[in-house]
Amino acid sequence: MIDFGNALLYASIVISAVALLGLLLKEFKKGEVFTNLVTPAILLSAVLLTFAYLLLTYYFVVSDFSYEYVSQWSSRDLPVIYKISGTWGGQQGTYLLWVMAIFLSAAWLALKTKHATPLARRMQIITLLIGIYFIVLTLMETPFSTWLEFFKQQAVTYGVSLENVIRFYEQQYPQYGLFSMEKGFTEGGGLNIELVNFWMVIHPPLIFIGYAATTIPFAAAIVYLLTKGDGWEELSRQWARFTWLFLGMGIAVGGVWAYVALGWGGFWAWDPVETASFIPWLTLTGFLHAAALHRKNKTNFSIAAPMLAVATFILVLYAAIVVRSGLFSSLHTFGESSTGTVLITAILIIALVSLALGMRRYFEEPETVEEDRGFWNKTNIFYIALLVFVVLAFVSFWGITFPAFIQITQNVKVNVASDTKNFFNVWSYPFTLILLLTLGFCLNYKESVKEKQKKTLFIVMGLTILTMLPRTDNFYLLDHNSPFWVREPGIYKLIGSISVLSIFPPLIYAAASVIGYLNGYTRTANMRVRIKGIGITMVHIAVVLIIIGAVVSSTSTTSIDMINIPIGAQGQLLDVGNGYGIRVVELSSRSLADSSSAGADSGNYNVQSVKLEVYQGNNKIGSGTAEYLQGKGGSGTYPMVSPSLGLFAGDVYVIFQGTGGGAIPLTLKIIPAIDLAWIGIIFFAVGIILIMFVKSKGRD
Amino acid sequence: MKTKKLITILVLIMILAIAVGTYNISLSKFKLSDQNTSYLGGLNWSRSLDKSLLQAQQENKPVAMYFWAVWCQYCAKFQTDTLGNPQVKKLLEEDFITVAMDLDVDKYVSYGSYSYSGYPPPKVLFLDPSGKELAGIYGAQDAAYFISVATKVRDQVRSK
Repeated sequence: MIDFGNALLYASIVISAVALLGLLLKEFKKGEVFTNLVTPAILLSAVLLTFAYLLLTYYFVVSDFSYEYVSQWSSRDLPVIYKISGTWGGQQGTYLLWVMAIFLSAAWLALKTKHATPLARRMQIITLLIGIYFIVLTLMETPFSTWLEFFKQQAVTYGVSLENVIRFYEQQYPQYGLFSMEKGFTEGGGLNIELVNFWMVIHPPLIFIGYAATTIPFAAAIVYLLTKGDGWEELSRQWARFTWLFLGMGIAVGGVWAYVALGWGGFWAWDPVETASFIPWLTLTGFLHAAALHRKNKTNFSIAAPMLAVATFILVLYAAIVVRSGLFSSLHTFGESSTGTVLITAILIIALVSLALGMRRYFEEPETVEEDRGFWNKTNIFYIALLVFVVLAFVSFWGITFPAFIQITQNVKVNVASDTKNFFNVWSYPFTLILLLTLGFCLNYKESVKEKQKKTLFIVMGLTILTMLPRTDNFYLLDHNSPFWVREPGIYKLIGSISVLSIFPPLIYAAASVIGYLNGYTRTANMRVRIKGIGITMVHIAVVLIIIGAVVSSTSTTSIDMINIPIGAQGQLLDVGNGYGIRVVELSSRSLADSSSAGADSGNYNVQSVKLEVYQGNNKIGSGTAEYLQGKGGSGTYPMVSPSLGLFAGDVYVIFQGTGGGAIPLTLKIIPAIDLAWIGIIFFAVGIILIMFVKSKGRD
Repeated sequence: MKTKKLITILVLIMILAIAVGTYNISLSKFKLSDQNTSYLGGLNWSRSLDKSLLQAQQENKPVAMYFWAVWCQYCAKFQTDTLGNPQVKKLLEEDFITVAMDLDVDKYVSYGSYSYSGYPPPKVLFLDPSGKELAGIYGAQDAAYFISVATKVRDQVRSK
């Protein structure tokens, strides 16, 4: 007996196969029998998959623990919002979300183009192929498998009675309660404690919708590489921006979560999985830039642009492998799974085919005899910017890949540097400088004042190199006071000794260029053009803000570790060193469950919270509550974050690790300038939405 | 066209150099563990609890069993600040049999009651040569605390 959810998935395979067949018959001029069915079939598949997703959500909301997946990621005492977010707690649910989003993209393509052009039809063929591939991937480890089915299988495999199997698993998983044939288990294992957080409710859908949306630009790029047809960039332009927004916001929300819920004291830790989602975002950013010049002149980046779109899609699949394979040591991994090999095969095939297509285009391209404009022209500098995006993507890719490679091939575990983040910081920093310099040069580039602009660039480059040299107490790229410093190899010491003061000349140069660019736009009368200019300005100012926030907060945080306040000392102001004092106002504990649903088995999630006041000398500089959660998968720390010091001086941040040994253990951090990064993230989002808004009106 | 080709080739060479360089540096300087040994905090740790207990019985020394993970940020700090402390290092090298459990690989390894249970890494458990748990260090504690606990354990085992 096939489960209803699985039946929906099988049905959508069949129906989308009909659409695919219709498109293929039309493409190869073998008849138009199915042509009229194509759009309805695609829409129906999208509806079925959406329905399957809602069905899974329903099982979570009503706590139907006859399903394995539901019991793994939910429990009765969770508030409803976390029951819903439990659907993407594990890989099965995220695949379902992914495949749904691919078919929604396909539906959009169908409705927008009506498959009227060969380009649209060919793009849809590729989208459907990928869509069907992902339905199969979802079915390989379906979220709709029931315990009863599993028990029956086990009974057959081991030749024992069903009752014995059930009794065995009841003992094996006491947290699931008792099993009945009709209703399954009485309780679920619960959601991992780190995921019980508002930001974790929106982070996965943003990321996975972003991942799925890369399918459309990929399909367009492949068709273009195959046929050289025009219009691919126009058709995928809005979609690429939408992808960029979702993927970018997904990464950003992950950063916010790490900051407010994980107690890392930072928003970025170069964890393999977060890095893996950052890599396709970088190449996608590169694609958007290449596309901007490609649309003005079709010979510009006629290979670079499609190849970047293809690379983005491949890297998204790679990100899925990083999460699934269990080879990458990360906080995120869902554990080993059989889909890994299937994904690797897909990546290899797609990579080889697209590389071959790209090479063919390259050698077929007629050698354009253009007048020699010398090195200094916009396309060349833009090309350097594209390469910098690629190099930055490569640094991230390599840093998470080669340790896994060494582990597989030699069974040896290595670290990328004595401290993981040092590898990424050392190799990313010089290229970030170059990226900012190219931003400053390109954004406001004018052929007429080229010589003057060149001179400015040289001056800024000189200043950048000079500001690398000052020897200060800290503010080096790698922390010289860190115990890791002495163990760094020569090249890391060399690059690590660059003073991060050197970020400021390129930052100021870039900011000035952005403002100059905005000035140019405000003088135009056309409202739409003006809005677009403002959008582009916001996105690029965001880069400046985020880099300032990241660099200053990571190099200038004051941290006081291992503060132990005796539980008896509540209400007293205690000196914790460096001129700071902390008063514990109140210590309390509660259960996370809603009072409404709190039954006999509530209390799987316990929260300890401390109300705190932080003083510098006699001035209160911050107050709030730091929490410590215990539940499935260990514990989580929700630090106190008090943005009371202002925009630049930053946040008062206190991590509480749960009472122990009669003491309240705390870590105090003063984190400057981090708000600038948050503002930058908002600018990113608003800016790209403005650009999309203008484009959606009228033709372009 | 020529300029772009030249830049591309230069960038490819640079990427290749970074790739090969970092790969080799990691293998020679940042090895964390191979088949039999883990290299953490400047110390060598066996990866086999059985062999370590056998050795402990022969030499009548206590076992220091360290739970760690690559992704554990506090482990890195603990390894440099605490285990890397010269006094801690000397104490562990001379008076203890050291064994390390990689939580990504050894999470299902359990021996009696010392399975990795609940408490997040870093964690060090001290066992007597018969395998009985004597004390533990929970979290990234500092060197002074580590030495006080470890010394007590060493003296307890010696006095038997």
